[in-house]
Amino acid sequence: MTYIEKPSISNVVKFEDPDVAQVKKLTVMLNTGTDIYQGACKKRGSTLKDEYRKVAGVCYMDPKDMARLGVGNWESVLVKSDWGEVVVYAAHSRDAPHEGMIFIPKGPWANVVVSPETYCCSDPTYKGIKATVEKTDKEVLLMADLMRDVYKKYVKEGDKPEELPSLGEMPVYKKIRSG
Amino acid sequence: MAYEPPVTDYDEIVENCTCAFCGSNCDDVDILVKDNHVVGVRHACRLGASKIMEDEDQRLTVPMIRDENGELMEVDWDTALDRAAELIAGAVRPVFYGWSETSIEAMKPGLELTELVGAVIDNQATICHGPTVQAVQNVGYPLMTLGEVKNRADMVVYTGSNPMNAHPRHLARYTTFPKGFFRKRGRFDRTLVTWDPKYSDTAKLSDIWIPFEENGDYGFCNAIRAVLKGKELKQDFISGIPKEDIVALTEKMKNTQFGALFFGLGLTHTLSKQRNIDIAIQLVQDLNKYTKWVLLPMRGHFNVNGFNIFMAYEMGFPYGVDFCRGYPRYMIGETTTIDLLNRKECDVFMVIAADPGAHFPGGALAHLVDIPVIQIDIHWGPSTELADVVLPGTFIGVETAGTSYRMDSVPIYMKKAIDPPETCREDEWIVNELLQRVKKIKEASK
Repeated sequence: MTYIEKPSISNVVKFEDPDVAQVKKLTVMLNTGTDIYQGACKKRGSTLKDEYRKVAGVCYMDPKDMARLGVGNWESVLVKSDWGEVVVYAAHSRDAPHEGMIFIPKGPWANVVVSPETYCCSDPTYKGIKATVEKTDKEVLLMADLMRDVYKKYVKEGDKPEELPSLGEMPVYKKIRSG
Repeated sequence: MAYEPPVTDYDEIVENCTCAFCGSNCDDVDILVKDNHVVGVRHACRLGASKIMEDEDQRLTVPMIRDENGELMEVDWDTALDRAAELIAGAVRPVFYGWSETSIEAMKPGLELTELVGAVIDNQATICHGPTVQAVQNVGYPLMTLGEVKNRADMVVYTGSNPMNAHPRHLARYTTFPKGFFRKRGRFDRTLVTWDPKYSDTAKLSDIWIPFEENGDYGFCNAIRAVLKGKELKQDFISGIPKEDIVALTEKMKNTQFGALFFGLGLTHTLSKQRNIDIAIQLVQDLNKYTKWVLLPMRGHFNVNGFNIFMAYEMGFPYGVDFCRGYPRYMIGETTTIDLLNRKECDVFMVIAADPGAHFPGGALAHLVDIPVIQIDIHWGPSTELADVVLPGTFIGVETAGTSYRMDSVPIYMKKAIDPPETCREDEWIVNELLQRVKKIKEASK
């Protein structure tokens, strides 16, 4: 049973808005945090599924910012910060307007671009990070593929994680009794 | 969302279960059971219902270890526990992280194991309300229980948190909507205020929304304190808010009968960290010169507060407790998980009832690639992708009974509704078993 398909986001990105000038790259402030769709999907345990990618691998943007970049809902964007870069979906924020600010729900995608710096306070800096957003053709990765691509813990030497087959949406492990 | 007809096909209703999701610990949840499976949930919010109606595809059902190719392989419990015990016994600087989504009963043997091997024990507070705990140590804790807010509060302020997304029943059950003893008309007798840069889902329901700038919380709280002390504000705008609005809000806050301030991670995750909370607590102290005000952190997991209370009671420190010298030490920025990982200090990482793969910054996770990771959890998650030993636990509050502490430090006994899967073991049993096995290894090597 599925409670969530997609957050309902109306397609109100006006590409012909006379107030916005087209840009290649946008400098923004990145915030991360919880979100009800992400929370429900994560705690249900559906983290390998496409659904998790749709709720956590997504960057909620102001529609004007999306028009500036020329991206529509559910198109890929590349978010870069000093700590890394990640491909996520762009989506029109429910909390707009907030030009110059993007929100990525917490999860493996956001982790790649947030700062691990705690300034000796135990708590990493998850909010208020400088980042850039640009349009990209790359696909947003599923959770298992993203973890393999970014951390490469069990990738053999010489193998390129981006060329390996996808790990898919179900747990993969060797069972004692086959069948 | 498509319409779903109500569930009518069930054997029994287990009434008044406690929801094991957020710090609100709603204890009025009814679980519908058929053939030892949960088929429906009543009264829970979207988050609670989704957790109780778990995704069985990704349920961890068998113990697993990595083989030489780096693939997870099913093994029997003895092999997996022995492998985990060997790793723990052989470690120089192990870290035991997690504990917030398990019961107090499982923490007891966990603490004994930590003392035995001289490990660091830490929980999710280290990445969420750690600065809050530090601020409480700095300036105090004007605390209440949620029942007081329900019966008395006529002004409720949320800052840096979005309960409509993270604690959906908080407003409905405890603070804003319910009818209380002195607030007979419920919502109509209360003023709901949100201070948040974002027009969040909570802000949309509020009577007053104060959209201060990003990282503007410190300046804004200080401006209110200045007005309270009779000082004149010299700037026209403070943190993006006009000074007349700040004066008007301060007047409103002074003229309430009972105010409650709830704050979340918006305050602890920005650059001022614990200083934000210091100032929020001092603001509440200043307001108490005029009228009654209280405050409460919005704790995330159902037992994250429980771990802090348990550790403070047992060891004197709330989280990030280091036993490497044989006695408990606590030093923020030294003995806390993220700092240990950033400095590449720990050599075995055990995660129990937590998901660092989903919630730690990539810079900290990079160290987990170099060291063995032991995972005790109920679902296959991002951490499983980094784990070397996987031990399947049981679901507290649904499959196993246990004690937890609500965000206002009220202990609640969570009963069970169904039996756990045959191949899974309770967290308490797993940790106890690890403790016995590590003891044996330590004694043999003497």
